[in-house]
Amino acid sequence: MHHALHIKNGIVIDPKNGVKAEKMDIFVKDGKIVEESEVKGEDVKVIDASNKLVVAGGVDMHAHIAGSKINTGRTMRPEEMRVVRNIANKFRAAVGRVLLTSPAIGYEYAKMGYTSSFEAAQPPIGAMHTHEELDAIPMIDKAALPVFGNWHFVFKYVEAKDIEKLKTFIAWALERTKGFGVKVVNPGGVEAWMYGGNVTSLDDQVPGFNVTPREIITSLIKAVEELKLNHSVHLHCNRLGVPGNYETTIETIKLAGGFSNDARQVLHVTHVQFNAYAGDSWRTVSSGAEEIAKTMNSMDNVTIDMGQPIFGHATAMTGDAPFQFTLHKLTGARWSNKDSEVEGGAGIVPLVYLPKNPVHALQWAIGLELGLLIDSDKVVLTTDYPNGGPFTEYPYVMAMLMSKKMREGELEKVSPFVQKATNLPAIDTEKTLEEIIHMTRSLPARILGLPQKGHLGVGADADIAIYDLNPLEIDTSNDFEKVYKAFKTAEYTIKSGRILAKNGELVDECWGKTYWVDATGRVDMEAIKPDLEDYFKYYSVELQNYGVEEEWLKKPERIVI
Amino acid sequence: MIIIKPKTEFVVTVEAELTPDLAEKDVGEIKKFKVYYGKDVVELGELFEITKEGDDKKLVLDGDFSRVKWVGCRMSDGEIVVKGSVGANCGAYMAGGKIVIEGDADDWLGAEMKDGEIVVKGDAANLVGCAYYGDATGMSGGKITIEGNAGNYIGEKMAGGEIEIKGNAGDFIGTEMKGGTIVIHGNCGFVGGDMKAGEIKIGGEFELMPTFVKQEDAWVGDVNVKGEGVVRRL
Amino acid sequence: MAEENIICTFCGSVCDDGQFDTEKFKSKRLCKLGSSKFSKKERIKAPMIDGKEVSYEEAIEKAAEILVNAKKPLLYGWASTVNEAIRLGVLLTEKVRGVYDQCASVCHAPGTLAVIEEGLPGGSLGAIKNRADVVVFWGANPMEAHPRHGMRYSISAKGLLIKDRKQRKVIVVDVRPTKTAKLADEFIQIKPGYDYPIISALRAIISGNADAVPDEVGGVSKEKLIELAETMKNAKYGAILYGLGVTQSRGRDRNIENAVKLIQLLNRHTRWVIWPMRGHYNVVGAGEVPAWEVGYQYAIDFSRGYPRFSPAEFSAVEVLKRKDCDAALVIASDPAAHFPKAAVKHLKNIPVIQIDPFPNMTTLVANVVIPSAVAGLEAEGTAYRMDGIPLRVKKIVETSYWSDEQILEKLFEKVEELKR
Repeated sequence: MHHALHIKNGIVIDPKNGVKAEKMDIFVKDGKIVEESEVKGEDVKVIDASNKLVVAGGVDMHAHIAGSKINTGRTMRPEEMRVVRNIANKFRAAVGRVLLTSPAIGYEYAKMGYTSSFEAAQPPIGAMHTHEELDAIPMIDKAALPVFGNWHFVFKYVEAKDIEKLKTFIAWALERTKGFGVKVVNPGGVEAWMYGGNVTSLDDQVPGFNVTPREIITSLIKAVEELKLNHSVHLHCNRLGVPGNYETTIETIKLAGGFSNDARQVLHVTHVQFNAYAGDSWRTVSSGAEEIAKTMNSMDNVTIDMGQPIFGHATAMTGDAPFQFTLHKLTGARWSNKDSEVEGGAGIVPLVYLPKNPVHALQWAIGLELGLLIDSDKVVLTTDYPNGGPFTEYPYVMAMLMSKKMREGELEKVSPFVQKATNLPAIDTEKTLEEIIHMTRSLPARILGLPQKGHLGVGADADIAIYDLNPLEIDTSNDFEKVYKAFKTAEYTIKSGRILAKNGELVDECWGKTYWVDATGRVDMEAIKPDLEDYFKYYSVELQNYGVEEEWLKKPERIVI
Repeated sequence: MIIIKPKTEFVVTVEAELTPDLAEKDVGEIKKFKVYYGKDVVELGELFEITKEGDDKKLVLDGDFSRVKWVGCRMSDGEIVVKGSVGANCGAYMAGGKIVIEGDADDWLGAEMKDGEIVVKGDAANLVGCAYYGDATGMSGGKITIEGNAGNYIGEKMAGGEIEIKGNAGDFIGTEMKGGTIVIHGNCGFVGGDMKAGEIKIGGEFELMPTFVKQEDAWVGDVNVKGEGVVRRL
Repeated sequence: MAEENIICTFCGSVCDDGQFDTEKFKSKRLCKLGSSKFSKKERIKAPMIDGKEVSYEEAIEKAAEILVNAKKPLLYGWASTVNEAIRLGVLLTEKVRGVYDQCASVCHAPGTLAVIEEGLPGGSLGAIKNRADVVVFWGANPMEAHPRHGMRYSISAKGLLIKDRKQRKVIVVDVRPTKTAKLADEFIQIKPGYDYPIISALRAIISGNADAVPDEVGGVSKEKLIELAETMKNAKYGAILYGLGVTQSRGRDRNIENAVKLIQLLNRHTRWVIWPMRGHYNVVGAGEVPAWEVGYQYAIDFSRGYPRFSPAEFSAVEVLKRKDCDAALVIASDPAAHFPKAAVKHLKNIPVIQIDPFPNMTTLVANVVIPSAVAGLEAEGTAYRMDGIPLRVKKIVETSYWSDEQILEKLFEKVEELKR
C-alpha cells in the first residue's frame, strides 16, 4: 500500500477553504492532507484527476444506520433484504433495498463518495447494541447521538432548574454511551405516550413531571453550550407529522434566540420536512416551508437538515414512538414499538412514498422547498435514512436543488396537489455546485463540530471523493442527468488516504473510527452520584452494568473537551 | 419434449429453476443450464441425463425430484410432468402453463402463483399458494388441484384463483385471504382467520373462527377485519 | 477480594445482580438454574477428534477441513454464547456458504415470523416493572423457566408507578395450572391448541363485535372472555408476556401474529405491549447479530454467496430431516438430545463438529469436539437480555479453555487459509 497520494490536476471545490472550482493538486500522507513537500521521497501513487471534480468525502450528519431500531426494521422486512448488492468473495455479502445490512451501508456510502455517517438516535440503555452495529459497518467514520429528551434524569434536573447537574448528567451519559452529542426527540411527548398520549405544544406539561417541552429544550441548549460540546442540541421537534406543526417548529427554532456560539449553531433542527406542514387536517394540509425558511434566514444560530422523501420504499423509524403509532393507524402497516425503561421509546413502521399520493407528493415538495429557500449555510441535505428513503439517492436531491428544469420534469410526474399546496413550482432558485458541496460536506462537518472533516485543507482527514464532473464546464441547470450519474458513483472514494472504491467497484476495505465526546473533565461527576444510585431503582439493570467501555469498541476515538 | 432424469442420489438438495422454456433449446445447451448444488454452481448435464423427443414445449422429470427445488418457478407456458415427487417452491410465481406432479409436493407449492395450473396426484405439504414472508399477497390466479391431502397454511393472503384439495387439509385455511376460492373435500382444522374476502367450501369437518356471522347457508367474516369472506359447506 | 459481581448466563432474564465467590466457587442471589451453571460442573476435558484427545490447533484444523469440504454445512446453536462469537459464526457460515440457524428455530422463531407479519409493539423489562398494572403470562411459566423474572421485572417487581404487588393484576393463560398460575390473581385454563380462536374472540369483543362470538371458545366461556377483554381495556399499561406454550403449539406464529393484532387494537384504548419470554441467555443476540450482518435472524442459507431466508427450508430441523446438509457445526446447543428422531438420524450420518463447555448428547455423535470457556464465568462478551437490552457478561475466573470467540477466530483463519 502506498503511504502517499498525489491527486493531480483535479478541479477542486472546497468551500471551507474558499476554493471555488480551481485546478489544483492534493497531497496525502498517513491518512491526512499534507503540503506537497511532505510527500517528497515517499512512494507516491499519482491519481490523474484531470477535468474531474475533487471534493472532501461526504458527511451524513443524520441517518439511522445502527442499533435496535434499524435491526428490528430488517427483521420486520425480509422483503427489503432480498436485493443482492454484493456476493461474498473478497468483500462481504451485501444485501438490502432501502434497509441495508451493516456491510452494505458501508459499501454503498463508499461507492457514493461519502466517508462519514452519524447514527442519529441511540437509545442510551441500548448503547452497546448501537456500537456493535457501528463496528460492523466498514469503510466510514461514525458516531452516535444518544437521545435525552424523555429521559427522567433530564426531566428531574430541568424541573429543579439545576443546570449544573444537567451538565454533569450529560457528561456522564455521553461517557457511558460513548455518545457524540445530545439528541432530543419529541421532548416530553414520548413520556406522554407511556400513558397513551402525546404533547400538542411547547407548553404542555409532561405527565408526572413539572416540566414542558419548551423548558426541556432551552435547558438542554443551555447545558450543552456551557459544556461547549462539539455538536449543539440536535432536535427532532414536537408534533412531527401533524398538519399545522410548522408553527410549533418556528416557535421551537426561535428558542435558540437567547444563545450564541462563535463556532457553530446552538440548535440543529432535524428532518424539518416532517415538521413543516400548514393546515389543520390531512385534507387542508399545505406547505409551511416558506414561513420556516423566513424564520431560518432571519436567525444565525440555527441549522436544519431536510429529511427529503424519495419516492419508493422507506421505513419510518424514530424515537418518536407516539407518532409511529399514529402512522400505523393511518396506514394499517406493521408496527413495532419499544418503551425503554425511564429513557423514552421508539417505533417502526414500513411505508412507501407514491408520487401520485397527494400527501407524499406534498412531503416531497416541502423537502425541496426547504432545501431551496433556506440559506445554503444553514441547511444540510439528508433523507433521514431510512425514514425519507435511501441515502443512496442523495445525488437525486443534489441534482434537483441545482436544476429547475429537472424539477419541472419531476413535477409533471407527481400529484397536482403540490401545485396549490406548495410553492415549489414557482421557485426559480438553483443552488450552485459549490453550495451543494457545502451542504453535503463542509456544512455538516461544521455543524457536528468536526474540524478535520468536510474539507481539503492541510491537516484535514484524507477523506476525498473524485467525481466524473468538470465544474468548469458542467451546466448543472441543464445537464442534471450527468450530475446525478456522476454523484451516484464516485470515480474514486478515498478514506484516510486509502482508495476504497473506484467507479462503483470496491477495491479495499477499511474500518473507520467511532467518535465520542468526553466532557467529564468539565464537571464534578460526584455531584450526581446519589441521584443516579437512587433513581436506578427504576431501571432493570444495575448502575454498575450500565454503559459501554472504550475497550469494547473496535476503533474508538475519544474527543476530550 | 425434454426428459430429465437424475443420474445419482443427491448429497444435498438441488435448486433448479427448470421451466418448459428449456425445451426450446438444443440438448447441448440444456446440459449447460446452471443449477445450484449446495455451494457449487453446476451444469444440469452433470447431475441429470437429458434426452430430447420432439419439439413440444414440455419437460418430463423422470424419477425422484423430491430433492429438487424451484421446479417450474416463474414459468409462463408449456408443461412440466414430474413422474415422482417434487421439492419445495414448485411452481412459485408461476404465470402460466401446467405442472403435473405424479407423486407428492413439498412446501410452498404454487406460492404467489399468478396463473396456470398445478395438479398434484399425491399429497402436498405446507404453505400451498401462500405469500412468501414479507409479501402482502399469496396466490392471485390459476388453479392448484391436490388429489391427496395437504398440510397446514393453505392459501394465506390468497387474492384470486382456486385451490382444490380432494382429501383432507391441516390448520389455517385461507388466513387473511382476500379473494379466490379454496375447496376442501375432506376435513381440515382452523378456517378463515382474518379473512377479508373470497370463498372457502368444505366437505368434511372443520373449525371455523369464532368471529364469523352465521347466515342462511354460509358464514361470513372475519368480523375482526370487517371481512366479507364466505365459508360454506360443499 | 473473592466476591465478584456477575451477570448470569443461564436464561433470558440475564440477572445482573449476582455475586460470585471465586474461592468457594459459589454464586449468591441467583436462582437454582443460574447457580447450577455457576458451580463446578462436568466439563469436556480436551479437544478430541474421533474420541482421541488432540490439541486445540489440531481439532480446529480438522474442523476447518470438514467445513471447507462440505457442499452445504449447517452451523447451528449460538443462543448460549456471546455476540462476538456469533458474529464470527455468521461470517464463517457466509465464507463456507453453509446454513446458519440458531436455537430460536425450535423455540421462539414463530415470534420472529409474527414480527414480519405485524411488528412487535413492546417495551423493555424496566418499562414493564415501572408501569404495568396488568401482566398476562400466556403459555409462559416463568416460575419454572425464568425463576427471578417475576420478582425482578414482572410479578412482584416494584417500580415507578407500581409500588406494591397489589397494584398489579397478574393473569395466567395456560393449558394447565402452573407454578406461575398459583401466584396469579387469575388463571384462565384453555383447551390446548385454541390460543388463536381465543385471541380472535377477544379482538372481536374489544372492537364491539361480541355478538359474533359463540358462548364458548377454546374451553373458555364468553362471559370470561368479556371479563378479560374489559380488564385489558381498563388497564393503564398492560403487558402480554408469551412463552413456548404459544409458539410451539398449534398455530405457532399465527398465534403470535393474532396476539400482536390484539395489542394493536388495545393501544387504541390504552397502552399495551407484548414480548416473548426468550429462553437462552443470548438467544436474542443469536438473531440480532445475523440480522445486522446479513439481514435475517435465523434459517439463513448462503449457498449462493448471499443470504436467503426460508424457515421451512433452512431451519436446522428441516435441513436435517430432509438430509439437506453434509456436515454440521453445533455450538452451545444439544440438538442430539432435543431434535426429532429423523433429524438426529441424519446428524449421526454426517461429520459433526461440536463447540461447547459441557458434554451432552451431541458430544456422542460429534467427530470433532472442541471444549470452550463458559461465558460469564471464564470469558467475557456481549449478550442481549430477552428484551434486547445489551449486557456485558464477565470473565471472573482464569481458565485454560479457549473462549468461543478465540476458537471461531482461529477456525475462520484456518478456513480462509484452506480456501486460498
